[in-house]
Amino acid sequence: MDMRDSLMLSNLTLDNFDKSFKGSNSLVEERKNAFLNLKKIGIPNKRIENWKYMDLAKITKGIEFKPRGINFELLNKNLKGIVVRGFEYFIENKDQYSKLTKYLDNEGVVYLNLSYAQEASVIEIKESLSEPLLINISCNEDGVSFPRIKIDVFPNVEAEVHLVYDGGKGFINQLTEINIQKNSNLRVQRVNKSSAIHSETFLSYLGLNSNISLVNLSMPKNKSRFQVYNIFLDQHSCTDFKSVSIPYEDCQDDFLIQNLHMSSNCESNVGLRAILNKGTVCSFQALVDIDLNTLSSKAIQDCKAILLHEDASMNAKPEMKIFNDDVVCKHGTTIGCLDKEQLFYLQSRGLSAVSAEKILLQGVIKNYISEDSSLNNFLPKVYQ
Amino acid sequence: MNNFLNIQSLSAKVEDKLIINNLNLNVDKGEVHAIMGPNGSGKSTLSNVLAGKDGYEITSGTINFCGEDLMSLKPNERSNRGIFLAFQYPVEIPGVTNINFIKTALDSNRKHRGLDPLKPGDFLKLIKEKSKILGIPEDRLKRQLNVGFSGGEKKRNEALQLLMLDPSLAILDETDSGLDVDAFKIVADSINSRRNNDSSMLIITHYQRLLERIEPDFVHVFINGSIIESGGPELASEIESNGYERFTDVK
Repeated sequence: MDMRDSLMLSNLTLDNFDKSFKGSNSLVEERKNAFLNLKKIGIPNKRIENWKYMDLAKITKGIEFKPRGINFELLNKNLKGIVVRGFEYFIENKDQYSKLTKYLDNEGVVYLNLSYAQEASVIEIKESLSEPLLINISCNEDGVSFPRIKIDVFPNVEAEVHLVYDGGKGFINQLTEINIQKNSNLRVQRVNKSSAIHSETFLSYLGLNSNISLVNLSMPKNKSRFQVYNIFLDQHSCTDFKSVSIPYEDCQDDFLIQNLHMSSNCESNVGLRAILNKGTVCSFQALVDIDLNTLSSKAIQDCKAILLHEDASMNAKPEMKIFNDDVVCKHGTTIGCLDKEQLFYLQSRGLSAVSAEKILLQGVIKNYISEDSSLNNFLPKVYQ
Repeated sequence: MNNFLNIQSLSAKVEDKLIINNLNLNVDKGEVHAIMGPNGSGKSTLSNVLAGKDGYEITSGTINFCGEDLMSLKPNERSNRGIFLAFQYPVEIPGVTNINFIKTALDSNRKHRGLDPLKPGDFLKLIKEKSKILGIPEDRLKRQLNVGFSGGEKKRNEALQLLMLDPSLAILDETDSGLDVDAFKIVADSINSRRNNDSSMLIITHYQRLLERIEPDFVHVFINGSIIESGGPELASEIESNGYERFTDVK
């Protein structure tokens, strides 16, 4: 931790930040331990490999660390098959409070939440849902928020969840945990159009024969970090994470997606399509980690970025740590302007240069967002 | 000089290499011209220059199409005025549905002609009719444009666009390559069927077999960027029998 982080954190104590917390003694202990870890490792900065493209310590330096509430709207909370609980869930299930630290080493933003979070929404999905569960998250006051969402998908359940991050000021540091029990299938749509500095740590735990697919439309109006850890706890599970990144001018979109293949016969698929305008920066770090005893894994990493302005940049770092021979893995990254041959082909059929460019960009997006997806409603008109 | 397509003293180069060298060619309405020449003689460059592709430097000459200076027009403007290039290597465009693309292209062409976009029902009827002629299954229309198509499927798709857009000048750049025997007959015959007094064709090919099904009015031998001999269909027969040796010796 450097001096700047030390100075900032020296003003933070559990006493002055967390006076209102009324948890059980055991949870207070968990939070104190998390705080000690936070003080030790600090807010992430770019000298940490996984944060090399986003210096969160620097970005949040000017923000006053005063706690604030967050607007968490569950738009269809009466949906049959779900049970919604609050922070008391963690007070009653303290073993769940710091569970995620078992899989994440020295991750400052996680300890930041564990130290200070006062709000949590725990959603149990006990049976298959007849319609998507709709969740909106926003915050319009200055300060910092530490929302935490835990979604527990019970066995043999089919469900869909739509998460929308909208509006916002200051700094939102979010934890999202998804537990998918055996034989269940969860589809997630995520939209980020927040104006806050937004950092989300997203963990999914996959049980036997379970699946999670996520389509993420990321259009941050500030700096955004989306870090995903998929943990294959049992065999025959699949993850499919596809993101479309269209940051607003001069904004930053930072992705880290790790698939930790701890069980055999699992499959992971990670993809990013980025459309980058003036002043935007997008980063894509993807890791597939397959250890010695994990057999018959399949993994794909795929990144394509279109640079629409000379002052736009893309950082891509696909990475595979594979310690046995029984795997099928592939990765590919392309970064560049729109293809001139494709542009000419479209123009030769009567489309103007502007229309041809628009159609090609729509094509890039439609790779991941199908024409019938509700995510189209969130896209800027030019891409619809 | 005719007033349809008139190319005079055209020279074009790519990266300082002269590819088209003092070319003269007149194509009148309703005529079919075949251009034959060995690999690397500049045939595809000619088709790209006519369609308005970037990357070619026109060093001299003029191209007039229906009385307009073609070189002052952008590729889409040329298309909207009736020029269609069937690509030798059609590009794949992921994420863009074949049928949506053809509808967009057709609407753009119709708009230029002062016509309203075709109603969805009429468009569907038309594209199904043309697809049937070419033996294109309906599900291929819903696929992404040329993505995962075989060479032959891509060429059929080019022919479909040709039939749908119904241009006044069709430039076919080796449309016959990549087609199996049956597909070749279907594509060639469907192209031939749209022959009329108002539309012309410029056929670039290596083989006489295409010209047996679309009989040209004129055959031009294209060597090193120039037409060195012109004649009737018998010239194609001679090339089929004897190759280009006589012409390359002359050159």
